[in-house]
Amino acid sequence: MSAMLLNKEKWPEFVGKLAGKKIVAPQADGDAMHFAPVAEGEAPALDYNNTRVPPKGALFPQTETMLKFQAGGEQVEEPVLDQETVVLGLRPCDARAMAIVEKLFKWDIDDPYYVRRRELTTLVGLACTEPGMNCFCPSVGGGPASTEGLDLLMVDLGENYLLEAVTEKGETLLTEIKELLEEADDDAGKEKDKLVAEAEQKIKRKVDTEGVPEGLPGLWEDPLWQKVSASCLGCGTCTYLCPTCHCFDIQDETEGFAARRCRMWDSCMFEEYTLHTSGHNPRPTRKERTRNRINHKYSYYVDKFDVIACVGCGRCTNLCPVNIDIIETLRQVNEAL
Amino acid sequence: MDLEQLRKTAAEVASREDVKYLVGWKPGTYGYRVAPAFIENADGAAELIFSPLCTANLATYLTLVEELPVPRGQEPDDRKIALMVKGCDSRAVTQLLVEKGIERDEVVIIGCPCPGMIDDCLLAEKYPETEEPAEVKWDGEDFLLIRGGEETKVARDEVLAEKCRLCRYPNPVVSDITLGEEVETWELGEDQGVKEIEGKGVDERAEYWAEQFDKCVRCYSCRNVCPLCYCQDCILDRLNPTWVNRSVNFSENTAFNIARAFHLAGRCIECGECERVCPANIPLGKLNRKLAREVRDKYGFEPGVDPDAEPFQASFKPDDPEDFIL
Ligand code: SF4
Ligand code: SF4
Ligand code: SF4
Ligand code: SF4
Ligand code: SF4
Repeated sequence: MSAMLLNKEKWPEFVGKLAGKKIVAPQADGDAMHFAPVAEGEAPALDYNNTRVPPKGALFPQTETMLKFQAGGEQVEEPVLDQETVVLGLRPCDARAMAIVEKLFKWDIDDPYYVRRRELTTLVGLACTEPGMNCFCPSVGGGPASTEGLDLLMVDLGENYLLEAVTEKGETLLTEIKELLEEADDDAGKEKDKLVAEAEQKIKRKVDTEGVPEGLPGLWEDPLWQKVSASCLGCGTCTYLCPTCHCFDIQDETEGFAARRCRMWDSCMFEEYTLHTSGHNPRPTRKERTRNRINHKYSYYVDKFDVIACVGCGRCTNLCPVNIDIIETLRQVNEAL
Repeated sequence: MDLEQLRKTAAEVASREDVKYLVGWKPGTYGYRVAPAFIENADGAAELIFSPLCTANLATYLTLVEELPVPRGQEPDDRKIALMVKGCDSRAVTQLLVEKGIERDEVVIIGCPCPGMIDDCLLAEKYPETEEPAEVKWDGEDFLLIRGGEETKVARDEVLAEKCRLCRYPNPVVSDITLGEEVETWELGEDQGVKEIEGKGVDERAEYWAEQFDKCVRCYSCRNVCPLCYCQDCILDRLNPTWVNRSVNFSENTAFNIARAFHLAGRCIECGECERVCPANIPLGKLNRKLAREVRDKYGFEPGVDPDAEPFQASFKPDDPEDFIL
């Protein structure tokens, strides 16, 4: 069993079969979408462009409680991670981002939270047929139907979804719902190829990454960083909403006599990110911070893990309040090389 | 507004010896985006524009300036910053003057009387954005959208930004140079957003804001874009003591949003930037405008209109109403 068809009318039944697991899927919020747990008995609608906030929180929550204790107490309580989860309808770029970030979380030691959550989670992606205006996944090694990071890929063929298992987990899921499925014929495969080719055609914006990872360190003192960052507000939008941004801070917090140790998303665009206790800051202005953001994604990560840590989802560009556009920044980088 | 005149004036100002740089607007890189422009010499002025897409309030760049320690033997660069302002933006500058966040001789203010700006989200709903940068012009009462050589008339009512619907000061309240003619003020609609909130009962209101604050990702875009959020030591960044935990949950998010709203009561000049930039779509304007309304009704104070006013939160009159104090 690897390519199957699911009639869309059976979609609620498919979702129903997952009962007992936590289901995370895109949900409407005014005119935007975000990933959130699905209430029992509901079937999420999947006809949406990508969400503003990426689904990275399914594996890397914005706030992760690592342990809890009471003032004066002797017990330390560690949360148990055992909730099986299915993420439905995430976009190929966001799944690729998870695969990319996993390299870091599995690097020197296995990060207990990330790795455990990934084990417990099945990622069911949905290929893009209507890419967004600032999508550029093909430029950075992905594509609207990329399967990297996914367990199962769904393609919207109109009346049916085509389901393709990518991993064993995906196969298992297909087996669990097999009475809802029909064998996919050649036509379905051809239809998919056509849709994917069309989607790729619709992606207009591109970046040229040739020579960028090796070239970036040489541009350290280039005036381009001042130019690019002049209008930057130093907010966390481009990083918090980036599916591959994975920096975190660990803080102890108290509420009355209860205390907890949490790790939470952090952002290299924040002033305090590299602020030393002495008051010295090695990245004193937004110029250095912007330079770091681009270098981290397009050079350091490549150096360390052999892959660009940007999947071309376009969120930083869509949502930067002052139009700092990563595609344009990379064009300027190329010009300076 | 005549773009030639704008660029000529900007070129003159940017080349003045006592001006460090000029901040204005330039075309963005795609769709309906417009970007802030930092102009250091006469040549740079050629890219400046003033169009219905120049919604952003650039006054925030007066307080976002990053000053590194001056190396020994060097003089600090005290030249002025020149700034292009619409009516609402000029109120931010005025409020900064009132609070002594800036001094009058640190800035050159180029006033742009403003016929009203577009909410690019509303525009995109009607006319989906494309990767090609579009141009928009004022066209009598309405707007003209120009892209791919095609012109489309867009009705004012359909896309006018909410802040502009409610704007009482489209003409800059303070400026050194004014570009073009003053515009006539327009009839104000009712503040539907605030009215809607006021129409809710206490529980319903609490529920409404709980749902909103729950979405907050604490990116602090709203704070960073706000021309009047410029405390050097912001309560949110403090770790010792920690006033607001960094954990993102409903309780901390609420503490943050309420703290920010109160710190801006009597200071917020309703430029709408916080709401525009919020990636979580939280209607921050309703909160700020409600507080602004309370301050106006109770104390007769309106921020950012009189550079000689006493700052509201730092002044006291014996007959100030205090019926809200329990
Ligand atoms: S979103 Fe834009 S303004 Fe905010 S930190 Fe990133 S680049 Fe700067
Ligand atoms: S850097 Fe920007 S385009 Fe790349 S993955 Fe992050 S948000 Fe997406
Ligand atoms: S970047 Fe590619 S995968 Fe991601 S939403 Fe756009 S088209 Fe889909
Ligand atoms: S901009 Fe929106 S999401 Fe970001 S901190 Fe402010 S209210 Fe929260
Ligand atoms: S609180 Fe919002 S509307 Fe008020 S001045 Fe700040 S950015 Fe403008």
